[in-house]
Amino acid sequence: MLESPSHGDDGDLLRLISAGDETAFLAFYNRYQSSVYRFALQMTGRREIAEEATQDVFLAVMKGARYDPTRGSLLAFLFGISRNLVRRCLEKERPYLTLLDDPESEYAGSMADHHDLVGELTRSERIEMLRKAVLALPEVYREVVVLCDLHELDYAQAAAALECAIGTVRSRLHRGRALLMEKMRATERCEV
Amino acid sequence: MKENESELLKDLRALAQDRTSEAPPAVRERLLIELRKRRARRRLFARLPVAGIGIAAAVLLLALASGDTRRFLTRPNVPAPVIADAVDADFYPLPEAEGLPPVEQATVIRVEMPTASLQLMGLAVDDEAGSERVQADILLGQDGLARGVRLVQ
Repeated sequence: MLESPSHGDDGDLLRLISAGDETAFLAFYNRYQSSVYRFALQMTGRREIAEEATQDVFLAVMKGARYDPTRGSLLAFLFGISRNLVRRCLEKERPYLTLLDDPESEYAGSMADHHDLVGELTRSERIEMLRKAVLALPEVYREVVVLCDLHELDYAQAAAALECAIGTVRSRLHRGRALLMEKMRATERCEV
Repeated sequence: MKENESELLKDLRALAQDRTSEAPPAVRERLLIELRKRRARRRLFARLPVAGIGIAAAVLLLALASGDTRRFLTRPNVPAPVIADAVDADFYPLPEAEGLPPVEQATVIRVEMPTASLQLMGLAVDDEAGSERVQADILLGQDGLARGVRLVQ
């Protein structure tokens, strides 16, 4: 699990950032940028969207986005902002592309590429295949899998980020994993 | 099924360990520029009378009283203006404007403020005149940030 500093530390940083303190901003940015960027990248498979979403998340913080510690961790709060931005980007592009059809997708290309003659997949190939399978999940399942399995948030934190009930997170995660297993099996069959 | 699931979880954990992706440095640079702009803007607004700026953003204020305000003022020993030659001449550069890009497209707004505020902007003002109000023009650059100030004759 990503180490999250205490709320007190973050609260101080947020106050200093809204007052324009550059050192505080850099400390905050260095602490969270990687998680925020990876989340957006895992959700979209597109570096330019991940870059834009990361920038906008930190801009929102700079502008004084209101964080309420009683509603979850700061990381979950940042994921929540990022998720909304990512959804907006994906909705804009939805009529025109699907992730795996997009030639610019970081992960596109080999889901349907069956030229691997080696019967047994290596571990790294399996991981890469899984990355693509996550991207191919419907959005509601993808976001819980990314948050709970790839960022190791617990159900409560994921629910805070997604603004839904814990039970919803649990059931979506269950369904998401089941879909992933189906996709992995189907791909393996194709590969063999 | 259980076996498949535990394998999947193992793979997901392996995928979660890949924390090499980071936002490119350009993102950080763009954010820092924005932070600095916001800080400069905040400083300016903290120093100018809020009401005066609010109104000036919408309309130019009419002179309420003409008086020889210049008698209270002496020209300060300040560095040469950083604003574009075509625009400036009689604008005093603001300390916060140092380091900002040159003015390419200028906007001038007129505000009314206490003479004490002019002191904060680097103009030498007679202390006794601090409570009096004067009209001044503020020179804004293309980014909306203030570069200089000049007294209305």
